[in-house]
Amino acid sequence: MLKILLATAMLIPTALLIKPKHLFTTTSAYAMLITFLMLKWFEQPLNHKPHSTNTLMMLDNITTPLTTMSAWILPLMIIASQHHLVTEPVNRKRMFLATCATLQTTLIMTFTTTDLTMFYIMFEMTLVPTLILITRWGSQAERLNAGMYFLFYTLTGSLPLLIAILHLYVSNGHTTMLLLAMQNTLTPNMTMIMWLACMMAFMVKMPLYGLHLWLPKAHVEAPIAGSMILAAVLLKLGGYGIIRMIPLAPQMTQTMYFPFIVLSLWGMIMTSLICLRQTDLKSIIAYSSVSHMGLVIAATLINTPWSTAGAMILMIAHGLTSSLLFCLANTNYERTHTRTLLLTQGLLFILPLMTMWWLVASLMNMALPPTINLLGELMILSSLFNWNTTTIILTATTTLITATYSLYIFITTQRGTPLPNKVLTPTHTREHLLMTLHLVPLTLLITNPALMF
Amino acid sequence: MVNVIHFVREWWPVTLVPIGFMVGWYFDRKNDEKLTTFRNKSKLFQRELKPGEEVTWR
Amino acid sequence: MSPLIWSLLITSLATSTIITMSSHHWLLAWVGLELNTLSILPVIIKSHHPRATEAATKYFLIQAAAAALILLASTLNAWQTGHWSIMHTSAHTTTIITLAILLKLGIAPMHGWYPEVLQGSTMNTALIISTWQKLAPLTLLYLINNNPPTNILLLMGVISALAGGWIGLNQTQTRKIMAFSSIAHMGWLIITLNLSLHLTTTTMMIYMITTTAMFMSLNTTTTKTMTDMGMAWTQSPPLTTMMMITLMSLGGLPPLTGFTPKWLILNNLCHMNLLFPTIILAMASLPSLFFYIRLAYFTTLTTPPNTTNTHHKWRFKPPLIAGLTPATSLAALLLPLMPMMIS
Repeated sequence: MLKILLATAMLIPTALLIKPKHLFTTTSAYAMLITFLMLKWFEQPLNHKPHSTNTLMMLDNITTPLTTMSAWILPLMIIASQHHLVTEPVNRKRMFLATCATLQTTLIMTFTTTDLTMFYIMFEMTLVPTLILITRWGSQAERLNAGMYFLFYTLTGSLPLLIAILHLYVSNGHTTMLLLAMQNTLTPNMTMIMWLACMMAFMVKMPLYGLHLWLPKAHVEAPIAGSMILAAVLLKLGGYGIIRMIPLAPQMTQTMYFPFIVLSLWGMIMTSLICLRQTDLKSIIAYSSVSHMGLVIAATLINTPWSTAGAMILMIAHGLTSSLLFCLANTNYERTHTRTLLLTQGLLFILPLMTMWWLVASLMNMALPPTINLLGELMILSSLFNWNTTTIILTATTTLITATYSLYIFITTQRGTPLPNKVLTPTHTREHLLMTLHLVPLTLLITNPALMF
Repeated sequence: MVNVIHFVREWWPVTLVPIGFMVGWYFDRKNDEKLTTFRNKSKLFQRELKPGEEVTWR
Repeated sequence: MSPLIWSLLITSLATSTIITMSSHHWLLAWVGLELNTLSILPVIIKSHHPRATEAATKYFLIQAAAAALILLASTLNAWQTGHWSIMHTSAHTTTIITLAILLKLGIAPMHGWYPEVLQGSTMNTALIISTWQKLAPLTLLYLINNNPPTNILLLMGVISALAGGWIGLNQTQTRKIMAFSSIAHMGWLIITLNLSLHLTTTTMMIYMITTTAMFMSLNTTTTKTMTDMGMAWTQSPPLTTMMMITLMSLGGLPPLTGFTPKWLILNNLCHMNLLFPTIILAMASLPSLFFYIRLAYFTTLTTPPNTTNTHHKWRFKPPLIAGLTPATSLAALLLPLMPMMIS
């Protein structure tokens, strides 16, 4: 536990002190090494859950996959941002890597802590490095606005959570998640407002349709590393929070979840339809995140073993897939300097190898059979169907529209005639490595999905 | 000799992450020992040290 | 100003606060307050321009009026109870004295003079006004705490936290922004008087640390308006980075020092079942956070190669103040030491 955490924390001084020549190689190698060490957490010989505890932290089958995924994303972020950092002076590169490492450290602490107050502090602490990533390393003036939206949506949602946690502390004398879930003293007198206060922070973070306006802005304006970590891990904080909070008030959830499930299912259709009429590549991927997260919200709220497992699988799958799509969008952006779909047509003729990655990524996004995306969606769909048969209309429609816009992205970027007078550099090995590293876990995890829940 | 000094100056920050790992390992071990002493105080879960075993928490 | 007079003023500034702090008698406390006002006035007016004169005049009028009110109330108290002890005041006189002290502190409905005075004085004087000058009135509030007008304190604290954040949104001058930030923080501080005096001390210490760090950074980079901030990074990039962290700490973002008082105050309010003020207070911290983040945008988050709209400003290189490094690091990193601070 502390082995990994302190090693990750020591990435910050390493990034600040290492000689510039070895900066990227050392940090990405160490980040990768830490991820591989983290794989040890999957080994649970006695099936004791939670395991590897200390007094403040624990690992269980919800924590471990999410933490490992966030650790996996860190080296990929470093690899992906190399090109846009190439013109920066070395001190700024150091600051960038230090910010990423800080974010990683706080994320590990958020996912592994057992104490709700600590969880809240760490949940908020991830905001600061993310804000810096978005507003400092984004490229357009609108990024400042996007940063404000990001910060204030999340803070407005989570300040009631703080008060709810403090209220729990006052009435129980502790805020340990495990004990609160076990003794459940609050449930009878836990009012509607308490439930809302506990859940809204995560609904905003997920985001629920209607509270999602910060997400496309933040994604579009963030640099590639910011988009990757935002899509891959920060949205999953919301799902993680809901899964953790629901055992505190199971009965209240049964009466309160209808508007949220309705909104998330309806939002899935709406955001997938929005995807179909976007002109901005990153914006499509961002809205597709909102759509996928709608499934996760519905699944976590009905809270059956199947649905929670499906939500976990979909979170992992979506984290890697959307991060992959953002990387692909970024490789286009670095060459053509535009994200507008109309201006980036016909890349098949210029970057044929990249087309293969685009195809695979689109197929992953629309959940083709051998992927864990499909497994997650199927589990969620069937558990929602079991909960209420009519949901199949909404979820099936969404699956259809998802396939449509995935193909829409693929066809508009890859087919058609390329614009004349464009000289594009060929794909780097670094970019192929990046795509491969995203795809390897996505394709291999289907051989043992039990790792994810 | 100069080569060694140069090498150290070039590469010393590389040791930071392993140092963090070692420190974390040490604290993890201390924490495990502490929690095991608590466990060994209970009649239900306590364990005797088997021959050839160093600690009871493995 | 000659060194002799300067040292005299500074000495009397320090002594007067200590007189008020250590007095047991209302007259002596009043003398301390008046002496305090009189010794800061030449310091404010030292840079002889109209704004400084205006600031000094406003400061004098407000402080003198408040001190006169305190004198009146304590005389009334002596008339009613027959003694001049600070510790024993009746309910009505306590209310009057509390209101007078809140006027001295610049709590919200009576905060109009405060940004003007800060804007008219130099950065260092503004630092003194917003930290050291708060001590003497606050100790009086501590001393009359046996019978506090809780409703007034709670109401004015909430109003102050709201107003400080809300009006501060509109400002472009850094000293005025700091003034409104100070008003908002004073609102939180006033509320703690209802909860526990240890908490008041903690809140005050952290307010002073963060405010001092911020004013020192502003002074070192000679930043008077928000547009000045855009080019502050040329002087010292690490300093502007620390300024950003300090600003976030002032705004009370969790891992930083500024979250400590917010957390403890909200916790105590929850303990008292005052859920409504708790929610309002928590939400009131958002507008202040907005303008802090906006300042942070100007300092570090829009530095080149990103485009900036600010002109390059001619700056002399002032010496780095010795206290700057400890102040900024304390302003950033004190949260893990919280258990030691409150016990």
